[in-house]
Amino acid sequence: MAFTAPYTYIQCPCSSDPPELDPGEQAAQDAIESDDEYTFDPRAPRANYSLYPLEYLLYCEECQEIRCPKCVNEEIVTYFCPNCLFEVPSSNLRSEGNRCTRSCFQCPVCTSPVQAGEIPNEPDPTLLGADNNPAAHVSYALFCQYCNWSSSEIGIEFDRPSGIPAQLAKVKNGGEPKITAKDLKERRKENPDEPPIADNLVDTELQFANLKSFFQNQLSDSTGVLGNLSLADGAGFSSPAALSRIMTLYTAGRGQPGRQRGPPDTMREAHSTDDGLRIAKLDESAEVKKLFRGGWDETVSREQTLAQLEPARFQDELRPTQCTLRTKRSKRCAVCRHIISKPENKVASTRFKIRLVAKNYIPSISIRPLKPTASGILVGLRPNVQIEKPLKPLQPCQYIVTFTNPLFESIKVTLATPNSTPGRFSSRVTLLCPEFEVDANTDMWDDALRDDGDLKRRDDSNGQAEAGKIYERGRNWVSVVLEVIPPSLRVENLDLTAKPGEAVDKSPLKEDEDILEIPMFVRIEWEAEAQHDITGTAGRDKDAREKRELAYWCVLGVGQISHE
Amino acid sequence: MSRRQAKGDYIETDSGNKVSRKAMLQGTQNIMLGGKAVIQPEVMIRGDLVRTAPSSSSSGGPANSTAVAIGRYCFLARGALLRPPGRIYKGTFTYMPLRMGDHVFVGQSTVVQAATVGNYVHIGRDCTIGEFAIIKDCVRILDGTIVPPHMVIPSFSIVAGQPARLIGELPEGGSLEDFELRDLYKSVGNNPQPPPP
Repeated sequence: MAFTAPYTYIQCPCSSDPPELDPGEQAAQDAIESDDEYTFDPRAPRANYSLYPLEYLLYCEECQEIRCPKCVNEEIVTYFCPNCLFEVPSSNLRSEGNRCTRSCFQCPVCTSPVQAGEIPNEPDPTLLGADNNPAAHVSYALFCQYCNWSSSEIGIEFDRPSGIPAQLAKVKNGGEPKITAKDLKERRKENPDEPPIADNLVDTELQFANLKSFFQNQLSDSTGVLGNLSLADGAGFSSPAALSRIMTLYTAGRGQPGRQRGPPDTMREAHSTDDGLRIAKLDESAEVKKLFRGGWDETVSREQTLAQLEPARFQDELRPTQCTLRTKRSKRCAVCRHIISKPENKVASTRFKIRLVAKNYIPSISIRPLKPTASGILVGLRPNVQIEKPLKPLQPCQYIVTFTNPLFESIKVTLATPNSTPGRFSSRVTLLCPEFEVDANTDMWDDALRDDGDLKRRDDSNGQAEAGKIYERGRNWVSVVLEVIPPSLRVENLDLTAKPGEAVDKSPLKEDEDILEIPMFVRIEWEAEAQHDITGTAGRDKDAREKRELAYWCVLGVGQISHE
Repeated sequence: MSRRQAKGDYIETDSGNKVSRKAMLQGTQNIMLGGKAVIQPEVMIRGDLVRTAPSSSSSGGPANSTAVAIGRYCFLARGALLRPPGRIYKGTFTYMPLRMGDHVFVGQSTVVQAATVGNYVHIGRDCTIGEFAIIKDCVRILDGTIVPPHMVIPSFSIVAGQPARLIGELPEGGSLEDFELRDLYKSVGNNPQPPPP
């Protein structure tokens, strides 16, 4: 595993209260809760789903809790096309689906955007003299500039470079015109005795249109409550009127036998092409032959076929797809329903109307080695960083953990780590200074203006790793030293540390077992202005202040342990 | 602490740009640096690929011959190449200007041929940004990505892969400060400070 710089992940408190557990599990959970010795295990399978870097966390001011992506509800603010950056109104979305209806197409082979361009027409030997004829017919195609795919490969060419979606909807791969339900109806009008078209000419869209009209007819035939409920679009069911009709269906309809309500119990089966029946094509000899001829290269990959609207097996069945829309979303606290993050509506804007992020409420924690082993990097090569060497087993190693306070009040921090990290190979961990205060995040210039005596008064730091003392202190940050003794990763050494009578798991080293992660419990306390008199000018009153506290687990990713 | 290079490896301009003497800048009269930009050794900027077709918007005005415009606090890591994109416009081939916003980081050995790069954009190392790509504000492009020509990358995207695909969204919990390159700017130059921890 490629190891990155040291990291800090924070566990969202929402994951520590699982909503539903079996009785047995519940008991186990209770035992854990009541046990003061409980330590969070960053290697537990569930831990992966509750640890977040600080940037991913929000903060609900109402609940005074950290909120992670799992404990917020999202609401869509704006839909937009990622290619043309046009905002799509939600009414369009209902009628046109979640794809861009402008000329934003993706290459079916490599997903890059495709552009409409002229097809370079080959010089006609018979018309050598009549070059640059403006009346010459120019045709256009979609070109992918990444993989060189072009829509002429699937036999689709256009008359105009604009209005591609409308033009594309009318042609099948190979250039033949598509038969739509409307064409069929007109054809039927002109020649009522025409037999239904052959199955192989019916594509999914036409079949769907047939099926829809078939069921619509059946529904309108019935005299039930649902009779006037249109199937025209999916939205029919979500309108309030339709909802009330459905409600009466379930409430009033009960206990009144004989009165026919709702659609008839038995619907006629579709039994012709016009009803939307399409007989499964079981004879695949043509496909097999094609496969023999074209080989592997002619087939599509799984990703390619998944991106298609209709299942495709061969390259020549692929069609350019329209870009799917993206959204801007606001976030609500799942508990109190207050909005905690809301971006501006405009697509181009990167600002937020509301943004309560954890970074502004809880201290950021960073970790770095006290004596870096990596040598500096040449100025010309910056910002490359050299990766620290793996930790030597059984040798104490010291790290500086820095807490930066984003609040405008000073905070009291209490830390706790287990003496030894959970897991088979457990490291010994000592925090040299588990309790300290971090000054408020005042204006940067206050620091310079304040006379030095004030700073010196609080100067309990000594720049040395000494027990009970903080290592370094700044305007709104404090560094403390953490000492780690990594274990030996030899499986045969496990016997030495195991308690007698305990079974020793001597299986070979598992993935990531050589990564040293330290669980740490952080509790912060501060005095804030009472929330109810934010408007009052007398907020400076000592009485108006209230004690706040916040506690959570976090994981310090320290480094990799050497395999020696 | 890093080994200090011999004095004068960088040219520091009045507006605070730090340009390595080993950078290869072509057509310097067509390159605009916004100030406090860092240009590392072996970076190449093709300012000579200037627009030849008359601009449609500025008719009659002074000919705008900027080929590459870079905003404030941009950082071009070693071996990056900025090259204005070119295409056929009204029958003739012409280059179009490459515009880059503020606080843009361009990783080592990355080739940028975009039309526009917004503010607060991080482009990793060994990437290729195809011709006429448009990268909006607050975008992270991971190492080794190939952004196809003409691709548009909206704000708050994280893209990666060959060709580039959207793989995630930047969390709102971060802030623009995470993208700011002030500290990095200080760590380079004739009197460099140690890089931030």
